Amino acid sequence: MGTSADLHGVTDGKAAAGSGVTHAAALVSFAEAVVGGDDETLKQARAELLGRVGPEGLVDAAAVVGNFQRMVRIADGTGIPLDVSLEMMTTELRHELGIDRFGSAVNTPIPSRFRRTLGRWLRPLAMPAMKRVLALQARWARR
Amino acid sequence: MNEFSYADAAVPVRGDLPAAYRRAWRRLAAPGTWWTGAERVAIAAEVRQAARCRLCQQRKLALSPELVDGSHESVGKLPAAAVEVIHRVVSEPARLTRSWFEKQLATRLTDAQYVEIIGVVVSVMSIDTFQRGLGLPPEPLPEPLPGEPSRRRPAGARAEGAWVPMIAERRATGEESDLYVKGRIANVLRALSLVPEEVRGLRDLSAAQYLSPDQLVDLRAGRALDRAQMELLAGRVSALNECFY
Repeated sequence: MGTSADLHGVTDGKAAAGSGVTHAAALVSFAEAVVGGDDETLKQARAELLGRVGPEGLVDAAAVVGNFQRMVRIADGTGIPLDVSLEMMTTELRHELGIDRFGSAVNTPIPSRFRRTLGRWLRPLAMPAMKRVLALQARWARR
Repeated sequence: MNEFSYADAAVPVRGDLPAAYRRAWRRLAAPGTWWTGAERVAIAAEVRQAARCRLCQQRKLALSPELVDGSHESVGKLPAAAVEVIHRVVSEPARLTRSWFEKQLATRLTDAQYVEIIGVVVSVMSIDTFQRGLGLPPEPLPEPLPGEPSRRRPAGARAEGAWVPMIAERRATGEESDLYVKGRIANVLRALSLVPEEVRGLRDLSAAQYLSPDQLVDLRAGRALDRAQMELLAGRVSALNECFY
């Protein structure tokens, strides 16, 4: 890792191709087709994705989509709030991607001024910290 | 046992997936914590029925689901409140509200029964979605097994801001000491902890369909798809469902 990705493809499927993720457009089309319900669209999306990522990749994709069809319903079915650290670190990202407009946002209390300020201070440190973690993981893996 | 045999599938399916699905089907058929095996299989049948329910389809188009009155097209084996929960969670999780949840508890449904319903619904949906993704039919539901639910409510569950009580890491002791992987306990992994068996089931399925708890913190972990590709899929599915979390 250590590469950048544009996350707008998450909330706007048409932006997927510009995300920097390999085969992003085909992956997103597949996810949309599985969730969407139209069988013919899914058939085409599956064939496209299979051609791009191969049979093992297609199986992975179907499994991940299944997994998150589960996870979103756990979250929204139980009204869990966003974890505090995640809430602090993703304020701007959520706003930029339009995630704050989702109905279940009400399950996460508006943070205090202190927490908002702390989040602003910590966010610039998040990427260097993550790169450090990745470097350490790579070093351990080589041992 | 021929359950989840992918011998005729167009693509080979790695073995950990059918193994996890068979375990899920055994859990589904067995008596749970608050529902019998027959009721749990009925919940699963209702999950599939929800996709055909005209009331659910009408509600999806309405400004608010509460504006559309009517009865669900149900398999008919469960109380109405359970059917309402199943159909709403399947069809429109993004528009579930605390007031709607509290209305369900005002019927004879308990919070723990509710959590177990969620656990069954999401397990079946995740497996059915996988099948659909590969162009395969849903697996036939298992035959329910006899026996009574355990009816064990974990002592460590507390109200923590979600709609249902959850078990915090420090309270996952005794029979719940295996529930979490230390330090990796996001709210979504605790959400079903009022019914600990559902957390165990969730962990087992997630390890096969996505990543194990250990792999989650390894940003290089992936399978045939790399981590970035997996997360793009995860994010897009979440956005399509308008899931804030």
